[in-house]
Amino acid sequence: MTHERFEVLADAYGGDVARWPAAERDAATLLIAREPEFARAVLAGAGDLDGLLETWTLAAVSHVLRDRVIASAPPARRDWSLRAWFMRAGVGAGLAAACAAGLIVGVKLSNAAAPLNASDETVSAALGDYDDLSGLGEGA
Amino acid sequence: MLGDPVEAEDVAQETFVRAWKQARAWRPGEARFDTWLHRVTLNLCYDRLRRRREVVTDTPPERPDEGPAPDRGLEARDVGDRVAAAMAKLPDRQREAIVLCHYQELSNIEAASLMGVNIEALESLLSRGRRGLRAALSDMVGD
Repeated sequence: MTHERFEVLADAYGGDVARWPAAERDAATLLIAREPEFARAVLAGAGDLDGLLETWTLAAVSHVLRDRVIASAPPARRDWSLRAWFMRAGVGAGLAAACAAGLIVGVKLSNAAAPLNASDETVSAALGDYDDLSGLGEGA
Repeated sequence: MLGDPVEAEDVAQETFVRAWKQARAWRPGEARFDTWLHRVTLNLCYDRLRRRREVVTDTPPERPDEGPAPDRGLEARDVGDRVAAAMAKLPDRQREAIVLCHYQELSNIEAASLMGVNIEALESLLSRGRRGLRAALSDMVGD
C-alpha cells in the first residue's frame, strides 16, 4: 500500500483501520508495522474527528413509534392461524399432561386396587391427545 | 439523513408498512433483510429530500446551528449537538455516505451499492463529508 492510498483511506473511513475495507486492512497493517510514525500521524489526524462523531448518539426509539409500527402491521391470517394452533396445542398439551399426571398419581395411589394393565391403558388414552394435536400441525 | 426526528419516525413507520406488505413474498437466502430495509429506508428519505428541494429555491436554506458557541465549555452532549448540526449542514449525499459507513457500519461495498455509486465515488463523498465536518468543528479538532 502506498502512502497516498493510506491517506485516502484514513480520509474516507477514519482513523480506525478496523473500519476500513476488509480487502485493504492487511496491507494497511503491514504499512503500519513498516512505518509506524507516518501511520500514527495519519491515523491520529483522522481519529480526532472519529472521536467527535462518536459523541452524536441517536435517541432510543420511542414507545410511540414502536406502537405505531406494530399497529401498522396488517392482520396476518396465516400467522394468526399458526398462533392459534400453538395456543390450542399448548393448552391442549397442558391439559393432556395435567390429566395424564393426575391419572398416574391416581393410579399409583390406587395401585393396589387397580390391575396394572388397566392403568397403562388409561394413561395411554390420556396421552393419545398428543396424536390429535399432531394432526392439527399438518393442517396449519 | 433527514435531520428531522418527526420525519425520520414517519419514514421508519412507512418502512415497516412496506416490510409487512413484502413479508409474504420474502424468500430467505435471496437477499439480506437488513440490506433490503436500508434500501427502502433510503428511498423513502430520497423522496422526502427531493420534495424539500422542489419546494426551496436554488439557495439551500440556512440550517440553524443549534450547538453552543465555540467558546463555551463543552459537555459531551453539547459536542454531540454540534456534530449533529454539522452533519445536518452537509450536502445530502455526503451525509448519507457518512451515516451508512460510520454510523450504520455498513461495508464500503454495501454502502456503495445502496447509494448506487462505485467505491471510488463513495470514498470521495466520505472524504468530502469528513472534510466538511472537520471545517465545521475546527475549534474542536486538530489541524
